[in-house]
Amino acid sequence: MDQNFKTIQLISKETNNPKLKLDITAEEIVKNHLEIIILSLLLEKSMCGYDLIKEIITKYNVMISQGTVYPLLYSLKGEGIIHVEPMKGSMKTKRYSITEDTRNNIEKKIEGYIKTEEYILNSIRKW
Amino acid sequence: MKFTLKDSIDGLNELFKNEGDIPESSIILVTGVEGGLKSGLVFNMLSNYLAKNGKHALYATLEETEESHLRNMASLGIIKPDRLHIFDYMDVRQEWEDEEPDFLKITEDMIKFYTEKYADFDIFAFDSLNALYSISANINPRKHMYRFFTMLRAKKLTSFLIMETHSPERRWFFGAGDGIERPEYFLADGIIEMGIIEDKESVKRYIQIRKMRAVNHSMEKHQVLVGKNGLNVVGSIY
Repeated sequence: MDQNFKTIQLISKETNNPKLKLDITAEEIVKNHLEIIILSLLLEKSMCGYDLIKEIITKYNVMISQGTVYPLLYSLKGEGIIHVEPMKGSMKTKRYSITEDTRNNIEKKIEGYIKTEEYILNSIRKW
Repeated sequence: MKFTLKDSIDGLNELFKNEGDIPESSIILVTGVEGGLKSGLVFNMLSNYLAKNGKHALYATLEETEESHLRNMASLGIIKPDRLHIFDYMDVRQEWEDEEPDFLKITEDMIKFYTEKYADFDIFAFDSLNALYSISANINPRKHMYRFFTMLRAKKLTSFLIMETHSPERRWFFGAGDGIERPEYFLADGIIEMGIIEDKESVKRYIQIRKMRAVNHSMEKHQVLVGKNGLNVVGSIY
């Protein structure tokens, strides 16, 4: 796990004040960026819902509910952003991947998203 | 004139008196024996209701796959509008079989997902509570159902929860009850029963409003017929 990510978790625990807007947990950050995280994982390789949730646990130490991930996958599929292949003879029934038509667009979208976030975060005064 | 839930099925308004209707944000238990058209009633109501306005609804089914459910509904003449979303749990059940997932928590998170995605998502249907109990190892109906109902009320969703009851034939084999406490009956704002009445000459399906808090309604059993475009409620059965 990335060292900076651990720091965010540590800070959020120490400043556990519900009135403080800065008091955001790692789980909330991952949830707020879930679509982009899932798309970036699917750019690397095709995966089923189970694999995606396990990968997020490994990377961020955060368990995202099946009740959030699967509806998101179905919604992305419905919008034609990802496509699904049935897996015969496996308990992992469906494998999701990025369609070739949308791959370039998604890569650009993620790049733009990261640049915007970096710009905003870098503009915040550091002590 | 506002198109409401009682207008969603031909003849359903006959079950309500004066301005009575299924109240918005209420939790309605749809009970009845197998083959009583519980799923058909709820899916038909949602489909016709959404076809007349721009809202979104979610139909969550633990009973069957989306494809099989849509086939069954098509055989009743019910066509799903785009804004009626279906979640069938099949992938979750198969991929997470060895880890005993908490299906109630999954359902709560799924509702949260749709609430955040669609501002005008306001109807939820769940098919069925029996299936939920049968696949959930450690569910405590009194404790967990109270929490679930509270969550649905907090989200201000009009909710239809389907629950199968035993037919007389099944009661003869398995006994009157399954020994499990059923808090849903007193927690729900309304109870709609879908049943079957059989005599020597005919078999008829009926609908009856057993309970609908703060609503003036008929207690009569009305016959239900399946037409070309879904269900129709016709006159009183007696």
